[in-house]
Amino acid sequence: MELNKYQQEIFDKQRPVIETFGKKVWGWTIFFLLWILVGGYALYLQIAKGHEVTGMRDNVVWGLYIANFIFFIGISYAGAVISGILHILQVEWRKPIIRIAEMITVISTVIGPIFILLCIGRLDRLHHLFLYPRLQSPITWDVLAIGTYFTGSVIFLYLALIKDFAIYRDAKLNIPKWKQKFYRIMAIGYRGTPSQNRHIKISTNLMAIMIVPLAIIVHSVLSWIFGMTLRPGWHSTIFGPYFVLAAIYSGTGVLIMSMWVYRRMYKLNSYLTDKHFIYLGYIMMILGAGYGYFTFSEYLTDWFASEKWTSEVIEKLFNPAKYGWWFLFANVAGILLPILVVAIPKTRTPNLIAIASFFMVIALWVKRYLIIVPTLESPLLPMQDTRMEYVKYSATWVEWALTFAGIATFFLFFTLLSKFVTVIPISEFANKEKSTAPAKEILPGSEIAPA
Amino acid sequence: MKKDLIIKKHKKILQHFLVSIAVLISLMIPVELFAQTDSTNKTEPLVAEETSLISPSIDFISIQKGDNSIDLKAALKAKVKGTFYKFPLLKITFMQLTDTVEKELGFVITDRIGSAVFNCKANSVTTDKEGKLHFKAVFAGNKSMDPADAELTIKRARLEITPVKGDSLLTTNVKLVDVGTGKEIPVKDIVLGIFVQRSFFPLKIGEGTTGENGEASVEISNNLPGDAKGMITLLAKLDESELYGNLEASTTAKWGIPVSDILQEAPRSLWSAHPPVWMMVTFAVLMIIVWGHYIVIVYELFRLRKEEPHSQPVNQINT
Repeated sequence: MELNKYQQEIFDKQRPVIETFGKKVWGWTIFFLLWILVGGYALYLQIAKGHEVTGMRDNVVWGLYIANFIFFIGISYAGAVISGILHILQVEWRKPIIRIAEMITVISTVIGPIFILLCIGRLDRLHHLFLYPRLQSPITWDVLAIGTYFTGSVIFLYLALIKDFAIYRDAKLNIPKWKQKFYRIMAIGYRGTPSQNRHIKISTNLMAIMIVPLAIIVHSVLSWIFGMTLRPGWHSTIFGPYFVLAAIYSGTGVLIMSMWVYRRMYKLNSYLTDKHFIYLGYIMMILGAGYGYFTFSEYLTDWFASEKWTSEVIEKLFNPAKYGWWFLFANVAGILLPILVVAIPKTRTPNLIAIASFFMVIALWVKRYLIIVPTLESPLLPMQDTRMEYVKYSATWVEWALTFAGIATFFLFFTLLSKFVTVIPISEFANKEKSTAPAKEILPGSEIAPA
Repeated sequence: MKKDLIIKKHKKILQHFLVSIAVLISLMIPVELFAQTDSTNKTEPLVAEETSLISPSIDFISIQKGDNSIDLKAALKAKVKGTFYKFPLLKITFMQLTDTVEKELGFVITDRIGSAVFNCKANSVTTDKEGKLHFKAVFAGNKSMDPADAELTIKRARLEITPVKGDSLLTTNVKLVDVGTGKEIPVKDIVLGIFVQRSFFPLKIGEGTTGENGEASVEISNNLPGDAKGMITLLAKLDESELYGNLEASTTAKWGIPVSDILQEAPRSLWSAHPPVWMMVTFAVLMIIVWGHYIVIVYELFRLRKEEPHSQPVNQINT
């Protein structure tokens, strides 16, 4: 594989990252593994003692796990929609960020469904979902949609990686033999011939077109698990688009945070530039405004109609003694903060955009919690002579431990994946030199050659 | 110098960041988001500790039926830490009290809601001089619960219900007679409820007050849904009378609109075993489109693999 000067420069910059593991990375890996170990103990308790060790009871049957599930599937949108749309529109500045976006997609699509498994009481009956599916059930739609979406995300990531794998294969990296073999297999004989390029181009274009509607369908289906019920706060016709928009929004936030971390960790300032943060900041601002509009519309109609059960949920969300502070945080940090930080020129800096993204992502997690729990705490049938914990939900340390174990797994996968592939894709810059260099230097037969 | 400035700037940003998180967390902690205590740390037993036993009570009522039998119904419950609990699988003994002895009638084990119903046949009990019956329900207690008992006294009476079909009106005649002393004495000025039995509970459809002859008449609607043959079950009830307790009588009449109890055939509905056709078609089309594309892509990759130019020299990257 031949590299131009710019590609060579990017590769040289990232080469040590995939050649060595480094003490710092070992430290982080052990730290994440310890987190996961604590989660493993919590899981053992949950399996041994049953769901009694969680805060979930007869009424509130979904809690942290489902909030995490929606959250992770939501952030998987970063890769799907951003890289998909930007690829179709041939936006040039997307190139350094698409690898990170696609990594977020695949990893979070792996982590998200794990929380479903944690929420299921009878895991031994899980295969019944596949043996005896009911096509009328939104749960079946969800399983099929997420399975299809995950497959698509892996294919999309892999397509973008084939050329890079070929580069790693031919680069004579100072890496173990098994890793070299891995790159050789994964490169599937790519040598950069016009015909091979055509195959990759056809496949990538197909996937870029496919992945966007697929992502929209997946998150709509996810929202319908709630929307198809008659529960207050869930039975809403705008829940599909509301979920989709919130998902892209939180995915953008995670993408910005990841870029900020990688930029600092691997000193990639030349490639993940301020421009990328500002452009993604603009996208985040527009999405934030849209998300704010949906939020306002959703709660205004619910509040105005004053239907009995819905009013009960609204009261819980606005009452400071119940969920009022959390609801306020979810809206201030989730809507206003990102918009203001990007809108004001003085605060429109990578650091502040990353911090705003951080709070926005947490706010959107809180929002998922507020969608699930207050509704389940408002049963349609009156509850009499019952213990308070059957009505009120609060997560136990077991649920928190497994939640943090999920987050640790997300970070661990990210860390490990970045040791296998360069976070800035090299092959994407095949035309970079041509577009920036003087015309005479790119004429066929000219002297310009890889360094 | 410049490096120091950058480090300082980064430190400042980090400080601001940490302070923001601390403020946020401190704002959130007082909020009563998690009202429930950690259930994994729950050590308080539901039932009593060694020193204090649960003191249950018995709700005891009787229902005099139209066939002269009496249902004795006892519900065992207790209030523990402000919440009422009902106790299943415990033995309740039913007795009749006379001036001299306590005659045991039988026992019943409480069901899952702590309720025990004993049907007492007419010939198994004898009234006292005033025509009254005295009953007692007893829970003997166990190692975690105190014993409990409850008594009730009722006078024997009978409720009769008769459907009467006029030219255009459907009427139910009900009659309440006092039978405590062996004679049938009509009871006047008593309000009786008329019900129709529905799937789970009786539905009240009217009420009437007994006259001098102990009778009342209540008009019945002619559009009540019945069973497959149009039969409806009518009930007359007297609830919680101080003297007679509860009384009940029932009869059936072919006055309802026949409603088939055979499930309507809906082979392709949202709730049936097989999904609607449109749903299957939509699902199949979507799946074929998406997975079809995946197959095309895998095929493209397969072709890419086959087209590897074996003779092409590999230009190595500078190492």
